[in-house]
Order: sequence, then C-alpha cells, then structure tokens
Amino acid sequence: MGILDGLRAALGLGAEADALRAADADALFGMGTAYLTMDADLGYSPADSAALCFSGVDSTDFSAVLDDVRAILDAGARTTGTEFSVETDAHGWRWVIVRDEDPEDLLTSIHFAADEFIANGYGSRLLVAVFGFASSGRRAYWVYSFRRGGYYPFIPTGTDSRDVRGEQKLAAVLDGELDVEPDREYWYPLWPDRPGSHPWERG
Amino acid sequence: MQWKPDWGLRGRMILTMFLLFAVYLAFIGALWSANYATFLPLMGVFVFVQFFFSDRLALYSMGASTVEPQEYPQLHRMIERLSQQADLPKPAVAVADSDVPNAFATGRSQKNSTVAVTTGLLRTLDADELEGVIAHELAHVKNRDVMVMTIASFLSTVAFMIVRMGFWFGGGRSRQGGSFIVALLASLAVWIISFLLIRALSRYREFAADRGAALITGDPGALASALRSIDGRIDKVPQRDLREQAEMNAFFIIPITSGFLGRLFRTHPPTDRRISRLNDLAVELERA
Repeated sequence: MGILDGLRAALGLGAEADALRAADADALFGMGTAYLTMDADLGYSPADSAALCFSGVDSTDFSAVLDDVRAILDAGARTTGTEFSVETDAHGWRWVIVRDEDPEDLLTSIHFAADEFIANGYGSRLLVAVFGFASSGRRAYWVYSFRRGGYYPFIPTGTDSRDVRGEQKLAAVLDGELDVEPDREYWYPLWPDRPGSHPWERG
Repeated sequence: MQWKPDWGLRGRMILTMFLLFAVYLAFIGALWSANYATFLPLMGVFVFVQFFFSDRLALYSMGASTVEPQEYPQLHRMIERLSQQADLPKPAVAVADSDVPNAFATGRSQKNSTVAVTTGLLRTLDADELEGVIAHELAHVKNRDVMVMTIASFLSTVAFMIVRMGFWFGGGRSRQGGSFIVALLASLAVWIISFLLIRALSRYREFAADRGAALITGDPGALASALRSIDGRIDKVPQRDLREQAEMNAFFIIPITSGFLGRLFRTHPPTDRRISRLNDLAVELERA
C-alpha cells in the first residue's frame, strides 16, 4: 500500500476515487490480432458478436449520451453493415450488442461506442467489453475490463460454473498479445440467468 | 458528469483525526512519565490479534454464515457486478437469518472481506435499493474502514483497559501511588475524549461510504429510498433482536440504538441527513 493509498484510506476516499477513475481503453485493441491467434492456434473462431456492458446513471445527460452512442452505431451500420442493439439484462445492467461477421468491424464498433462514453465523461461507467468465440459447440469469451485495462478469459460451462483450466490455457497462449489481467481475483464471471441467455446471445 | 468533492467532509475528517492524534500523543506522554508505557506493546499484540479475527468475530456475533452462489445466486451476481464496478475482488457473501433488515461489511483488507446481509433486508428491499445498500458496504471495504477504525481506536482501547483495571484493583495495591493515579486519570480523560472523536469519525465515514455507493451504482436515489424503508422498519421488530445486535451497531448500515447522549454518541449520522445528502448527489449527477 503506497503513501497515496494510505492517505486515501485515512480520508475514506478510496471508493469515490476509484469509482470516478477514467476508463482505461488503451489495451482494447490487442483483440485486433488476438482474433487470428485464437483461430490459428486454438481453433476458436469468432462468434460474430461482441458486447459492451455499462452501468447507467440516473440522469438526463446520460440518456442523451446513450442517444449519441446509438447515432454513431447507426452510422456504422450504414457503412459496414454492423447490426446493433441496446439491452438491459436481468440485473439491470445495460449492454450495447454488436453483430457482424468481420471481427475487425466488431472491435471498431465497440471502440467507437466506448469512446463516446469516455469523451462525454462517462468512462467510469463502462464495465467490460465482451468478445465471443466458438469452438465445436463450446463458447469462450475474452472480457476486457475498462476498470483495470486488461483482458481476461471466461469459459462458462453452465449458469454457475466455469472451465478454469480452459481459461488458464487461453490466458497462457494469448499472454503477450493481449494485456491479460494478472490477478485472477479480478477474473469476474459474467453468468447468464439461464444457459444461452446472455444478452449478446439472443436473437 | 460533474462531481464535486465534499471538501467540508474531508476537512472535518482531517480535523477529527488530527485531534485524535493530539490526544493520543498526550496520552503516550502521560503513560511514559508514569512509567506505564510498557503496557503499549502488550496491548498492541492484543488488538492486532483482534483485528486479524475481526471478520470471523463480527460474523459469529451476528449469526451470519457465508453462503455459496448456488444458495443465493441473485445476491452473488449482484455483488459480483458491483465489486467489478468498484474495482474490488469479490468479497465473501454471508447471510444472517434475522428479521431486522440490515447489512454490514467486515474483513481486515480488500482481499479479505465479507459482505453480510440479513434475510430481513433481502425481503424488505427491491433490487435497486439492495444494490445501493451493498454498494455502500463495498465502499466501506474500498475505504478500508475496518482497518482505519481499528487503528484510530487502538489507544482508546488501551485507555479503556487501564480505566477498567483501575476500577478493579483500585489504588490500594499500587506500588507507585501517585504515578498510578496519573495513568488512571489520563486514561479516563483520553477514553472519554477519544470515544467522542471516534464516533464523529465513524459518522463522517458513513457519509463517505454513501458518496462512494452513489458513484458505484450511479443511483443515489435508490440508496436513499433503501435507508428510508430500513429505518421505518426498525421499531417494528422484536426488542430482543435489538439488544442482541447492539454491539454490532458500528458496522451496520443503520444503527439500531438511539443513545441517550444523542447525536454525540451515534456511530451513524441521522438517516434524514444521509437521505438529504444523497438527494443532493442525485441533483449533482443530473447537473451535467
């Protein structure tokens, strides 16, 4: 614990400071080449969809920013054909879901959407970006944490279990190409309520 | 989103800690001059052990036990998401079977913490309100409140021990006569003053945790509404529960006893004040 941390703790500012900390989107673009490695080395092909999860703010300004995000994705849909939808999951968290067969377009759309939140001062509300992969009926995800600026793998095997060994293998193979979150305590699962009911799996 | 730091709150917290520090320095000086300073390392070990087991002690005295994701899937998921938003490792989740709607956080560090709720709380609040309450507890963890309060109250505990021993043994058996009286009187004064300062510090940290919670959920109104509905329920529960839980008040989201010396003795600020500050925060979030 550093001096700054100690001071924050003494003043009870830790929660406020971290909740306001800007999103760290620097390492998001690692996915641009990781798609290829996932396919070539591990046999995971892109699942044609990606998602951005954020928690809303109860304010008019935030709704306006969300409208801007929709406008940007609308423009993207016209040029690249990337479909999108904005949904709310069972826990009240919001998702921007994008669908496209070209993984590059998915990454670009997610980046544009995230950028719009960040540019308007809502970067701290961004939680994760999720990129889906599939291999012989199995789903795997790379989750980018905007809070910590790193990726972690997530392979759900049901509604409350995950394939830890599979995740470790993904992390080992992709480490270096992606900034992998080193502390496994921060590899938060994102369980669906029912199998296949992730917001980004619908439709 | 514009967010103004609460300089008033920070100032009051700094002033309180400064006063506490001054009182403690004087206390150490008094113990030193009375040759009672050897007492301190001994007490240090005692308090450290207590700190180390504080989480288990707190859970035990509350009758709360940790629960698995299979038992309380919704609660686990809610805590998972909120800790991810707060950038905390997911804490252990505990539930206490009690009709008193309440919640508390415990644990010596961010990596070693537990968030506990009562079944009464789960029954009383809707999902948004529950998120607000849990975010408030996560903010306590984030702010390292257990550690800070343990450090802040260490010498106060020492003073209290000396006062209690003084009453047990009296001055009669003392070999040093005068120096014993000095240590006893100094301890009594330090205990009373530091008690009030620590209570004030605890109240300020509740406001700080409310602010943290408002930012974590982005919805200060939900926490305000939760506080309103928890507070309303408290006098409707059986008296026995109130007394059983009195010692744990310091860690609760809303304390149950009112205390006869009124506001000075409270560990938590009056719920009305907290709600009105949360409403101010909601206005602030609205003002882009």
